[in-house]
Amino acid sequence: MNTYKALVKDLAPKKFHKKDQLWMLFLSVIIIAGLVAYIDQILQGQKVTNMNDYALWGIYISNFVFFIATSFVGSVAVAILRLTHNNWRTPLVRIAEIITVVSIVMAGITIMIDMARPDRLMNLFLHARLQSPITWDVVIIPTYIVISLLLLYFPLIPDFAILKNYFRKKKPKLSKWYGKLALNWTGSPAQKAIQSKSIKIIALMILPVGLLLQTIDAWLFSTTYRIGWDSTNFAPYFISGAMVAGIGGLICVIYVVRHYKKLEKYITDFHFDKMGKLLTLVCLIYLYFNINEYVIPLFTAKKGEATHLDTLFTGSYSVLFWVVTIIGLVLPIIVLLFKNGRKPKSMFFIALIVVIGSWWKRYVIVTPTLLHPFLPIQGVPESWRHYFPSFHEWIITISTLAMALLLITIMVRYLPVIPIQRTADELGLNKKEQEENIEL
Amino acid sequence: MKRSRISHTIVLFLLGMTVFCLGLQNLSAQDNSKNKVRLKVDYVKIINGDSYLDISTGARIDKKNVSVPYLDLLIYNETEQDEIELGTITTNPKGKIKFVLPELRSMLPDSSQIYTIKVAFKGNENFKRASKSVSFKDANIAARLITKDSLNYISATLTDAYSNSPISDEHLNIQVQRLFNPLKMGEEFNNTDDKGMVLVPIEEGIPGIDGNLLIEVVLNDNDTYGTIKAIVEAPIGKVIIDESTFDKRTLWSPRDKTPLFILVFGNFLIFGMWGIIIYLIVNLFRIKKV
Repeated sequence: MNTYKALVKDLAPKKFHKKDQLWMLFLSVIIIAGLVAYIDQILQGQKVTNMNDYALWGIYISNFVFFIATSFVGSVAVAILRLTHNNWRTPLVRIAEIITVVSIVMAGITIMIDMARPDRLMNLFLHARLQSPITWDVVIIPTYIVISLLLLYFPLIPDFAILKNYFRKKKPKLSKWYGKLALNWTGSPAQKAIQSKSIKIIALMILPVGLLLQTIDAWLFSTTYRIGWDSTNFAPYFISGAMVAGIGGLICVIYVVRHYKKLEKYITDFHFDKMGKLLTLVCLIYLYFNINEYVIPLFTAKKGEATHLDTLFTGSYSVLFWVVTIIGLVLPIIVLLFKNGRKPKSMFFIALIVVIGSWWKRYVIVTPTLLHPFLPIQGVPESWRHYFPSFHEWIITISTLAMALLLITIMVRYLPVIPIQRTADELGLNKKEQEENIEL
Repeated sequence: MKRSRISHTIVLFLLGMTVFCLGLQNLSAQDNSKNKVRLKVDYVKIINGDSYLDISTGARIDKKNVSVPYLDLLIYNETEQDEIELGTITTNPKGKIKFVLPELRSMLPDSSQIYTIKVAFKGNENFKRASKSVSFKDANIAARLITKDSLNYISATLTDAYSNSPISDEHLNIQVQRLFNPLKMGEEFNNTDDKGMVLVPIEEGIPGIDGNLLIEVVLNDNDTYGTIKAIVEAPIGKVIIDESTFDKRTLWSPRDKTPLFILVFGNFLIFGMWGIIIYLIVNLFRIKKV
């Protein structure tokens, strides 16, 4: 049964069923609601948010940092696993590439949402100061978007050629599109050599660029001298956190896609076990940096930082802090240490907890620090001492998350989520059949 | 008939009185609705410089003291017989203004050599008329820097300008000009002796631009002479080394003064990354052509 024909049939994109369409509709409704709220925010200004003189980076920035972190999955799951010759990665890399593209694009959109005057976006380029970490961010995000797109596209070229032939009779229009994207791919040695070399370069390149992206994101905070952010530990702390968010997100999407596309034959318990071990490793690294980040200041903190730590450990943010630390980080490590904890279903729930924990972790990083400025907060309304997102902020943020899920859904609909050509090559399936360019 | 005429006259009289009183009341109300301007005038003489009046205008409105801007003021030299107009001036947005006086010898003092200057406000729709006079005698301060036993002193003599006689037992401030407030030197009270003199040591190590200090000798707000100030330039300060990074390439400079290492390293990364990206995009075209 393991023929090339069967493989292509299994892995070729399939038409959406009613359930999938309802899912898309649900996401679209949330996105439209967010769009309406955003238009209102542009018309009325940022007074519709609960941001103020002190909490000037609210939920939008937490969300932005989350998207940036999640986009690191491309560097971890694709580049690191490739460079360490972990061949079990094959059925997982395409989804990782999709998540990377979607996350970094959404990070770009989210930071624009945070700008009170998006029409002045070009000023960031026109008046850029190379000394400013903001400028580094402005440079690195578009760079990472382009590299992520190339990381997704290059390995897809042979698959597009396969899909072009596969849909030739069934769906000529779709076949035509796949044909255009296939760039006249015939699988000739010259084409393979260029493609292989390009993928190698991208895999090598996305690792340092991904590290730069996370580092710059961390430096945006740590170069501000602010209590809670003024830390030399911040860049590795962010990188390890990004690994956790990225791998967690990847496991969630893989589980759902595997279930709905019935890919159990290709994405097996073995893959989940491997991913579980990887998640344990990155969670342990992140836990280590968390200990560095919070335990050392416990001994050395001066008054301002001690107050900030009190807020996190026993004060108004303590419940959130301990929930994201214990349930979002420590508990997953404990569960994943057991083999049963690395079964697909339990992995899905653990990964979901990790992702939700990662999102709230960014909130804990951003907000409490802003509410502990250098000078005491005085002469302002009492409400300015606290921050909780407004309805506008919530709906816009939720809609960005919905938009990310919608983009992933659309990509999963039209792209082969498991690399067809590579899987066929690895399985050593009928070369002759491949050469004949099967048509079903 | 006669009774009726009398009563008619009385009614007319009462009516007239009522109208008159109402009119008076109205006039008085108009006047009462105006605020009173408070004028503050100080006479200041800078030796080898201008003599001027420091004028400020204020009012108490709604139980608050406020400054009154843009008031037109007339300045007169008052003599025993006459008032000679010296000029007009308008207060600034903060209700303050400095009026530079003509040379004293062109003005007329009274028989006891006291000059009287009057500042008058004619009144307007919001404020009542007001005036304030300031009287002073002319005096001089002769100040110089002297060095005794390697120590620097300021020696100052206060004299009456008309009689050229020393003025004794008056308190002089010796101070170094600073950006915000002057730095006082000497004892709390440096009173002039019988010769009208004070001698105040100047501390070493006071920083000044190019090592120059501007030392002021001030007779402050004296009842007879007003404020007299002499300024001595003394090259005895510690040279200020300019540590400004304004023209240097720093992390906080504008973008045309970006540090070179950031320019080189930043551009190396940007062009390096985008160079590879362009190469990869070219590879896509190469795949298509092959």
